[in-house]
Amino acid sequence: MIKITSKNKKTIAKVLVFFFAIASFSSLLIYALSKNMVYFYTPTQIYEKKAPLNSHIRVGGMVKVDSFIKSKDSLKVYFKIHDLEKEIDITYEGILPDLFSEGQGVVMSGKLSKNGTFVASEVLAKHDENYMPPEVADMMKEKNGAPYKK
Amino acid sequence: MITEFGNFFLSISATLSLCMFSIIFLKKTVDVDLRYILCKNLSFIVLFFVFLSFSFLVYAFLTNDFSLRYVANNSNISLESFYKFSAVWGAHEGSILLWVFILSLWSACIPLFSGKIPKRILIDMISIMGILLLFFLVFILFSSNPFDRIFPIPINGRDLNPLLQDPGLIIHPPLLYIGYVGTSVPFVFAVAVLIDGHIETTWISWLRKWVISSWVFLTIGISLGSWWAYHELGWGGWWFWDPVENASFMPWLAITALLHSLIVSEKRGIFISWSILLSILTFSLSLLGTFLVRSGILVSVHAFANDPERGLYILIFLTLIIGSSLVLYFSRSSKLIFYKKYSISSKEFILLINNLFLTITTFAILLGTLYPLITSSLDIGKISVGAPYFNFIFSALMLPVVFLMAPAVYSNWSKTNYNSLSKKLGKFLFYSLMIAYICMNFFFKSEIFIVYLGVSLALFTIISSGAKIFQVFGSTFEKNYFKKIILIPSSIIANSLAHIGIGVLIIGVTISTYYSSQKEIIMVKGTEVIIQDTKVKFIDVKGKLSSNYTSQVGIFDAYKNDKYVISFFPEKRTYNIQKNIMTEAAIDSSLTRDIYIALGEKINDDSWVVRIYYKPFIQLLWYGVGLMILGGFFGIFSRNKYIDKITNNEI
Repeated sequence: MIKITSKNKKTIAKVLVFFFAIASFSSLLIYALSKNMVYFYTPTQIYEKKAPLNSHIRVGGMVKVDSFIKSKDSLKVYFKIHDLEKEIDITYEGILPDLFSEGQGVVMSGKLSKNGTFVASEVLAKHDENYMPPEVADMMKEKNGAPYKK
Repeated sequence: MITEFGNFFLSISATLSLCMFSIIFLKKTVDVDLRYILCKNLSFIVLFFVFLSFSFLVYAFLTNDFSLRYVANNSNISLESFYKFSAVWGAHEGSILLWVFILSLWSACIPLFSGKIPKRILIDMISIMGILLLFFLVFILFSSNPFDRIFPIPINGRDLNPLLQDPGLIIHPPLLYIGYVGTSVPFVFAVAVLIDGHIETTWISWLRKWVISSWVFLTIGISLGSWWAYHELGWGGWWFWDPVENASFMPWLAITALLHSLIVSEKRGIFISWSILLSILTFSLSLLGTFLVRSGILVSVHAFANDPERGLYILIFLTLIIGSSLVLYFSRSSKLIFYKKYSISSKEFILLINNLFLTITTFAILLGTLYPLITSSLDIGKISVGAPYFNFIFSALMLPVVFLMAPAVYSNWSKTNYNSLSKKLGKFLFYSLMIAYICMNFFFKSEIFIVYLGVSLALFTIISSGAKIFQVFGSTFEKNYFKKIILIPSSIIANSLAHIGIGVLIIGVTISTYYSSQKEIIMVKGTEVIIQDTKVKFIDVKGKLSSNYTSQVGIFDAYKNDKYVISFFPEKRTYNIQKNIMTEAAIDSSLTRDIYIALGEKINDDSWVVRIYYKPFIQLLWYGVGLMILGGFFGIFSRNKYIDKITNNEI
């Protein structure tokens, strides 16, 4: 039988405080992480309805040639992206990064709407003309069997 | 010829570094003095040869020697000469050479500013520097050699990445690297001390100067990078929680923690083992940063074309270094622990909490940065961790750190009376809450709780740190005011300035984050748009030719209360060679606000897409950083401890 002396009490208190601190920190971390994890989907996955609707996700692919349409009086743009198999529609309102062009790899974040259109809230800017977003490069490699080249 | 010499000098440096390292094994056979002289001179010679090969590369850039692949890929005849100079470290090979150059500089500084450190420790320190140098030199020679030839020799180069053609980028990498690589000094000190199994407090005050120097440069480097992003990326942001930014920020947090734990180790002789561990971790984080940046395995705006193989090499080295030093630490560190008790009500306890939070924050950022890597290597899914994670976690964990700054400054070593402390600080806290409330209502006619909280905490820090200087100023017996100022210990000035800087920075960050306005609109020539208190009129867009780019320059006039204030000339540049399009924002800065205009795309001859930001008080961010750096310099040049002691006793 362990006697609960004042010294033991102090030790117990210390241990409790320690565990409480660890527990609160890790729950804070896990909470923040789980709230802010953004999953990446390919056009094929979205076409097959594997991606959740109305939650924040990222999508990447190649901008389809001749698919880019621009609204005349607002900053709205429409285009398609593909991964050599399937393609999906994208809408975006805002200024596109300088290096955005048809035939380029692109990664966007935003939400998927009910009709299957991806509403992008951010189109990621890349600063090297030869640079391919790793997700897109991997995806192309899987589809193509070989590293994808422009 | 240049290439042959460059390669030759690099190989010599590598061989000599190996010699430097091998001195560590001569402990039993060779006399200490002789070994010290050997080490010292070897470190100078290595510095000399690395410097030579570095200057050959600089020479190759300045003389447009396109027979070097690296020069051909990153320079161009029409590039302005100061950009040619900065192009040396514009890509991987050159920046690793710069890294080695700075490493050899730091290692040569150890014997130059050796203080009272015994020779046996210095020898070990320099020898371990030798192995670090050797690794990076071998890395350069075999996998990223800037002196590699290209054939056929191109007539003109491919030009420097336009994004890097900015004055801020000339000095950003060297300064950042000085800070980054500077963390190697506490690391080699830690390893040397662990090998020796003995430490003295005078050594720690010596080490503290090195740590502060490295901290200052790291701070300058990171803030320059951030300043560059603000001016150059054209998105109005200054911090993106990008993996590469995190890679430099994690060592900064760790070294800040180290700075504070070393104060405790120096003054009280405790936390020594912890300081040693932190030194190892800080350098490991620097290496990890290099690995993350250079391997290109992370999605980042900095991800230029990279080579995974290089990453693997750094990763192996990283594992070896961290692994072996941690093994050494866990087997030897128990010798360095002094069992001194400290109470909950003391300065050392507050600094312990500060360290705890800084370390946890570092870990949280590390987790967020590496999490995508972990999930993708385990095939769980492709995930990215968004900026909201970092913002939330960082501000939550920094709240207590900032709050504790004032108590840490005002409390005493070993025993503090919390009652009198809280009375004094309670007064300051009350003032800062009042001032924050009044200012928020006066300037913005509204209050957001987070901003109110941030501003009052920042004011609390500023007021209490400022008051500390006045208190010390008043407490000396000297009559002459000038002498009174001189008598303020620079360590107190240093920490007050740095803490005030943090406060000023927090005010800038919170206010500019929550009260900024942003407009993305199509503007026709001659039309106006109102953003907060300013009216911006779009006048015209004109073409401009420069040596290596052509650009469209927009002309905008700003009016406040119908009075003309200033004109803006934002640019849209197309670089001739790489055909890159770059946005150059035009920014008008004043203390109370920045107006930031960037050209989007052209709709037709008369109308353009325009992006306008109004960012109140964002300048405080840079002022705050400036104060922190100034504080750091006071820390480096702080006077002897004798005066500190006198004033501490008087208080």
